[in-house]
Amino acid sequence: MKILIADDSRVMRQIVTRTLRQAGFDNHDLVEAADGAEAAAKAASESPDLIISDWNMPEMTGIEVLRKLRAEGNNVKFGFVTSECTDEMKNAAESAGSAFFIVKPFTADQFQEAFSPILG
Amino acid sequence: MSVETVVTEDDLAEMVEQVWASYLDPEGVSPLIPTADADQPTEVHSTVSITGTWHGHLVYASSMQAARKAAGAFLAMELDEVGQEDISDVLGELANIVGGNVKAMLPAGCFLSLPTVVLAPQTASYYPAAERISGLWGVWDGEPISISMWQSTKTGDNA
Repeated sequence: MKILIADDSRVMRQIVTRTLRQAGFDNHDLVEAADGAEAAAKAASESPDLIISDWNMPEMTGIEVLRKLRAEGNNVKFGFVTSECTDEMKNAAESAGSAFFIVKPFTADQFQEAFSPILG
Repeated sequence: MSVETVVTEDDLAEMVEQVWASYLDPEGVSPLIPTADADQPTEVHSTVSITGTWHGHLVYASSMQAARKAAGAFLAMELDEVGQEDISDVLGELANIVGGNVKAMLPAGCFLSLPTVVLAPQTASYYPAAERISGLWGVWDGEPISISMWQSTKTGDNA
């Protein structure tokens, strides 16, 4: 499967990549986006099977990316890995069609639990 | 509104413990040891600002060596491979992670800024309209680290 990792932090993109590997998901194609606009563009051009997105990013926030994709009829599996977690954000994510909401700092166990149903 | 009623030093300690357990000390052999020394020296710091129903800043500060070690741990690099950009990025991410967790404990309607990193002591930055209300000071492998919260002394949109 192809996974798009969207986060403006290079460090966090690297940690998400490493944690995916530690959680046992190391045989997937990984694509990266450094802001929301790039994430939206690559969601179209790369056709990923899963998008793991930060919430607070330049250009477009993660929730704006998700809403744009859904408005365009793109139903790719999409979820958030973010340091911010409020009830209003979780509700907004769920309403927009988010499949998971993981809060930083996270562990490989949390990744395994969240992604096993999606990545197998 | 005082944020001390919402985010205590124990809360900050719990957030920091999670960061250490996830990224900086996954083996549990090198924890951040509290010193309660608010005047311990720092050489670098990063800040995220919170606005909305609460106004203020979350500041992560440390020695350069602690920042280098953090970058090495985050990026799985040897210390002599760690560059300035790596240190800046990791310091920003540390403030972002703790700031995001702080935001989650504040009343709804707060916004978190992107981090600002300064490779100079915390005393090189000034928060003229804010006062330090809480913090956690400690050492990690003998190197000083602090996480502090600064609350705006003004209220309203211009605070």
